[in-house]
Amino acid sequence: MAEVVLALALGLLFALGTFLVLRRDVVRVVWGVTIISQAANLYLVTMGFGLTGAEGADAPILTGGAEAPFADPLVQALVLTAIVIGFGTTAFALVLTFRVYEENGTIDLEELASNPFEGPQAAAAEARADGGRPESDRGDDPADGGDH
Amino acid sequence: MAPAQVVIAPLLAALVTAILALLTRWSPQVQRTLSVAGAVAYVVGVAALFRAVRLDPDNRLVYQVSNWDAPFGITLVADPLSVLLLALAAVVSLVATVYSVRAIDREGQRLSYHALYHFMVVGITGAFLTGDIFNLFVWFEVMLMSSYVLVAFYSGPDSTRAALQYAVLNLLGSAVMLLAIGGLYATTGTLNMADMARRLAEPAAYGIDPAPVLGLSAVLLVVFLLKAGVVPFQFWVPDAYRAAPAPATAMLAGVVKKVGVYAVIRLYFTVFAAAPLAVSLPGIEGGPELGFLAFFGPILFLMAAASTVLGGIGAIDQPDMEGLLAYSSIGQVGFIMLPLAVAATATDPAVRTLGIAAALVYSVNHGLAKGLLFMAVGAVEDAVGSTRLSDLGGLAEAAPVLSGAFLIGALSLVGIPPLTGFFAKLLVFDTAVRAGAPLALAVALVGAVLTIAYVTRAWNRAFWGDPGPRVRAAAVAALAGSSRDSEDTALADGGQAGDDDDHGDDVSAAASIADPVLVTCTLALAVLLVALGIGFDPLYTATTQAANAALDTGAYVDAVDPTTAGEALAGDGGGSGGGHDIETLRALFGGGGR
Repeated sequence: MAEVVLALALGLLFALGTFLVLRRDVVRVVWGVTIISQAANLYLVTMGFGLTGAEGADAPILTGGAEAPFADPLVQALVLTAIVIGFGTTAFALVLTFRVYEENGTIDLEELASNPFEGPQAAAAEARADGGRPESDRGDDPADGGDH
Repeated sequence: MAPAQVVIAPLLAALVTAILALLTRWSPQVQRTLSVAGAVAYVVGVAALFRAVRLDPDNRLVYQVSNWDAPFGITLVADPLSVLLLALAAVVSLVATVYSVRAIDREGQRLSYHALYHFMVVGITGAFLTGDIFNLFVWFEVMLMSSYVLVAFYSGPDSTRAALQYAVLNLLGSAVMLLAIGGLYATTGTLNMADMARRLAEPAAYGIDPAPVLGLSAVLLVVFLLKAGVVPFQFWVPDAYRAAPAPATAMLAGVVKKVGVYAVIRLYFTVFAAAPLAVSLPGIEGGPELGFLAFFGPILFLMAAASTVLGGIGAIDQPDMEGLLAYSSIGQVGFIMLPLAVAATATDPAVRTLGIAAALVYSVNHGLAKGLLFMAVGAVEDAVGSTRLSDLGGLAEAAPVLSGAFLIGALSLVGIPPLTGFFAKLLVFDTAVRAGAPLALAVALVGAVLTIAYVTRAWNRAFWGDPGPRVRAAAVAALAGSSRDSEDTALADGGQAGDDDDHGDDVSAAASIADPVLVTCTLALAVLLVALGIGFDPLYTATTQAANAALDTGAYVDAVDPTTAGEALAGDGGGSGGGHDIETLRALFGGGGR
């Protein structure tokens, strides 16, 4: 029974995550990615669930002696690691979303895709040439470049 | 077991440097010095490891973290394959670090650049050294986490957009990798690569059904090919490479891509190849001796062919140098995958070794050449403020040394003797001919022609011809700047440099518009490309050794030796379905086995 429930939950999570990843809104995409990674974590836990084939497998804290059925502790360690990594990446992805909004003024993926790519290093190189301060009056007109 | 400790030397060097770079933000001077010193220490660590592996009778050094034995603990394995790629990483990393000190703006360096950069190196090193699939995932994450931030480093509209794309794709990749790893653990009952190879060699004894393992390894392949940027997983490559700072791009294209290549070689040729599985596909008589590789060969071939052709065509059409090099990276990874695909379906062991050696020589060549090219383009961008081909022109006159270095890198991509690229291309063609694979030969030929086409276009438009307006402006500025600089020097030196003052009107003195440090960095890699081409033998020996090491599953398993602790579990746990290690775990944790 538990296996069926878990399988259904996994399927639902993956479906929901995939649905969200395919949205145009960046925030939804990030949520979708997060849900998919959580689904992967849940999937990992289920890998250790039916370890002994016993229904009532306990968490692997051996209070009941070595004979009591317990779940595979390794996958739980793996999931913990994966969750910690997931925290970091989710936080980063959300901050990045905010920065994308700040810089581009939109979080609609189709509008983002239609912005031309201008080359970020040009601005940074100019800023460096001017001693680290971006100068607004330093025009992009190439003919103007030699007059400084 | 004193020498085994040297395995963690490169890891420690990079990790300590990264942490120190975070701690020394109060003094950018100290931070930059430490960063370069750390990169040197990393080279020394890798060199020591390289030497130790070469001197070792088995050519393999194994370090069991915290002395936990193989199938349970975290294993680090240094064999000729990993140290070869570590050496590549070390060389590119050192040059890129020196380059970054000069090319990245001061505030960016102070805040995060050096720490991120060295954390990325930590991830790369770990991925090359680990002998455990889940650890491979963790090291990938360490590497990716830093590379996300490096792609977003300039934080303009383009960078953030590229970083978002890169991050979302790789986060999905990570989730898929986790799924595959979980599935592999459930079916084989182990995460240790050597142990997995040992169990897959006799699946019946451990109650493993090879069929699901084949499917799961195919899922895993997607993740590695995403990292390597092979078609159809190449979408992130052009934007990310344009967005990241030049030295970071040099690392991303030169080394991070090779992590994906390494993982393919290590897992599919060393670990999964052990599984006897008769695969019957049209055109390939896959007996059990080919195993999984018979299945992956055609897939790799299709992807490699698509990469070579699409990358090449894409590169021809790019309006800017960085885009051109990024698409060229897609095409060149096709060249790396092509001999691997041929090797996967080859029945002759000699051809298989040759194929892997060819892929490795090509990886080294591409790592050095593409690192050089991206840094050269970064230096152009630094001087001129643009990499659009329409803005450039006449760079050969305005920056002769830089142009010379670029030319060597470009010719090495094309494969002109005596550069390393010549031997790389030669071995790829040799593999295709010896394996009797006319299709692979045709793809390689088309790819080679495309490479010549886009390299010629870049050279003609950017380096020859009349200087574009921006190049002329930069040359004038350099002329003015050099007289100003020498005045500064004159002031600083108390008049000693006074007689240099008048060289403002001397065209040759002010001829190079590029920053000398950046030029020196690209030149260093150019010299290396020439040196490795002229003295090709050591590289050939190292790659052949690496290829043999990759194919010798038995020696790999013996070196890691998962049997000492593993035999106990093999006896009892094997029969029960997935072959989980429950009995041994019980022996270990419950029964006080340790």
